[in-house]
Amino acid sequence: MNKNLILYAAILIFGLAAPFLFSAFKVQLSILCVLIILAMTWNIQGGEMGYNSFGNILFYGLGMYLCASVQVGMFFPLAEWTESGGEKTFVHTPAQFFQGFGVGLVVAAIVPAIVAGLIGYSILGLRGHYFAICTLGLGVAAGEISGGIEIIGAGQGFTTPPFPNFGGLEARGEFFYFCSFISLVLTFIVVKSIYSTRFKLVLNAIRDNEDKAEAMGIQTMKYKIIGWMISAFFCGLAGGIMGGLVGYIDSTDVAFDGREMGVFMVLMAILGGKGTLWGPIIGASVFHIFKEGFWTFFLGWQYVALGVLIVVIVIYFPEGIMGWLREKYPERFGEVVDEADRKAQVELK
Amino acid sequence: MKIKNIIITFVSAIALLLSTSAVSFAKVVGDKIVLGAAVSLTGKYSSNGVHTQNGYNMAVERINSMGGIKVGGKTYKFDIIYYDDESNPKRAAQLAERLISQDGVEFMLGPYSSGLTKAMAPVTEKYGVPMVEANGASRSLFTKGYKYLFAVLAPANLYLDVAIRTAVELNGGKGVKIAQAFEQDAFSQDVRLGILDAAKDTGSEIIIDDKLPKELNDMAATLVKVKQMKPDVLVVSGHTKGALTAIRQISEMKVDVPMLAMTHCDAAKLSKQHGKNSQYALCASQWHKTLTYKDKWFKDGMTYDADFTKMFGYAPPYQAAESSAALLVFKDAFERANSFDQKKVRDALAATDMQTFYGNIKFAPGGQNVSKPMVLFQVMCDSAGKCENKVVAPLKWASAELIHPIPKWSER
Repeated sequence: MNKNLILYAAILIFGLAAPFLFSAFKVQLSILCVLIILAMTWNIQGGEMGYNSFGNILFYGLGMYLCASVQVGMFFPLAEWTESGGEKTFVHTPAQFFQGFGVGLVVAAIVPAIVAGLIGYSILGLRGHYFAICTLGLGVAAGEISGGIEIIGAGQGFTTPPFPNFGGLEARGEFFYFCSFISLVLTFIVVKSIYSTRFKLVLNAIRDNEDKAEAMGIQTMKYKIIGWMISAFFCGLAGGIMGGLVGYIDSTDVAFDGREMGVFMVLMAILGGKGTLWGPIIGASVFHIFKEGFWTFFLGWQYVALGVLIVVIVIYFPEGIMGWLREKYPERFGEVVDEADRKAQVELK
Repeated sequence: MKIKNIIITFVSAIALLLSTSAVSFAKVVGDKIVLGAAVSLTGKYSSNGVHTQNGYNMAVERINSMGGIKVGGKTYKFDIIYYDDESNPKRAAQLAERLISQDGVEFMLGPYSSGLTKAMAPVTEKYGVPMVEANGASRSLFTKGYKYLFAVLAPANLYLDVAIRTAVELNGGKGVKIAQAFEQDAFSQDVRLGILDAAKDTGSEIIIDDKLPKELNDMAATLVKVKQMKPDVLVVSGHTKGALTAIRQISEMKVDVPMLAMTHCDAAKLSKQHGKNSQYALCASQWHKTLTYKDKWFKDGMTYDADFTKMFGYAPPYQAAESSAALLVFKDAFERANSFDQKKVRDALAATDMQTFYGNIKFAPGGQNVSKPMVLFQVMCDSAGKCENKVVAPLKWASAELIHPIPKWSER
């Protein structure tokens, strides 16, 4: 327990000091936090519950649009802001910017959670491939639909409010970094605490055998929906922050970016080891570092390099990094290995 | 222990990578002025991204070989750090940040497309980094109050405005029936707004107004409607893929329409790829080699065309020409500012008033170039099937007369 506390404190201190230590990398670090949130929340469905969702990108995009819309709409007419031919120039004062962003984030977290509850009720009855395909469709549909809604800029895209003149050059990066880092800490605390309750066991029961779980008297639907709502809450939050960080929202390339973010969140969770608390965190970090590295050193070949990395992972770490570590050092994971018994089994084979 | 080795290699690779990428280049190294650019080398804008990059490279080479840039009595040369933005706005914004805060770039060149420029502008603006861009035409770029963004091209809403006005003129001043289909992206939607304005002005009626998906590969549904409703003008815009798809399907489906107005014909090398099928298509262009503008470095359009073709093996589309012009603007501004102070360079850029082979360049307070009109050319083919783009409007530069209406497919 003490060891854990030291570990958490070290990570927290590192997280707080990081933007000052690696000042030039603030944006990459912020994106890393967002990626970890996405991977961790995906893991609730994909890892613990056994429902491979490709639809979490829906909540991420929704949060992004909502946050920006609220931030603009609180002070200026939204339709005039997004209208491309608009001759007027609107500028947020620092107070308006932060106030709008704060309220925007709250909305960006809550609304996607409600949406998850509503659609979850109708589609969480699907299982296996059918659920995966259905959620894949959700993300694609959301991208196309939002690309047709004039008030949020439609195909023109939505420029989020520029960061106000406040606190010097580094302020923007630091602000978004701390937003994403604090959200990450929140996500971690919530996810860790639900993983230590009966809730996680129910999710695992659903993954292992849903019919049996139901026969045991568990209202699986209720748990599935709650699980998805928790994911949606934090995905929306991450989306809202990312929208402000990127500064420009495009319906299919930034918000409902199923091709990139939607796939990456699955990839990161699997890379780190799904169904574990730390897996998605490790996976996202490794993934992000490699991706940035490939972009620098294999310009033009970055996706080929990324592809090779994925192949290597599938071959050498089929259970993810955490799974591999667990197999290698089971004692560290609290598994008792009786050496004599293990040898006996090997001989039997 | 193979796996252990792999991990050790990976970890050391990461360490190496972090340590090397933390080295910053700074804006002016020795006798080099380092500019940053993120262009689309992969993804849906990759062909135009390459045109942009070639345009930049051509100008860098030319300016450097002709004596470079003189600032404070010293001669400097241009150098560009490129990144691939993958045609993705999110990536573009990240790269802008990276170029500025990691590579220490203090002056930027624009990416390809309005959407990506929209994503980068907030970042460059925040850091006060002057950005001269050549490929972001969306009007909304110039209404956000950006002070460090300068575009050498005419805004997107003017692209096909002339086509509609010409059609109305040929119709005896009466309004025409317009069918239009635009890709769902920042640029094409702005072209659409321009058409809406022109239609309102001329009393024209829009009878089909379709939005097409990105990665445009099929617009048969629109064309079926066009066949049924017989508009006077069909307007299509969707970057290179849009132009190719439109011509392919119009010729396959034998759609007859008196006037076909498009964008990106030359970037798509329409006359080469589709030959006679693309005949009579009317295209909006920022530049054409036959225009009579002149400058010291590239002489004129024809010379630029010949030099570019020699260097890269294909005729330059306007995307390349305007990209080259962006560097001429930078050179001019550096010399007038006589300093590398970002504010001074920015003010010098704002005061730009020059002629390049590409056209006159003078920026409005919003940053758009207001002194360069668009041209329209028409794809015209001879009996041997060799096709060429000929300027038909405005009349000052016209090298051929507009063929209108387009002959029916059955009569071709």
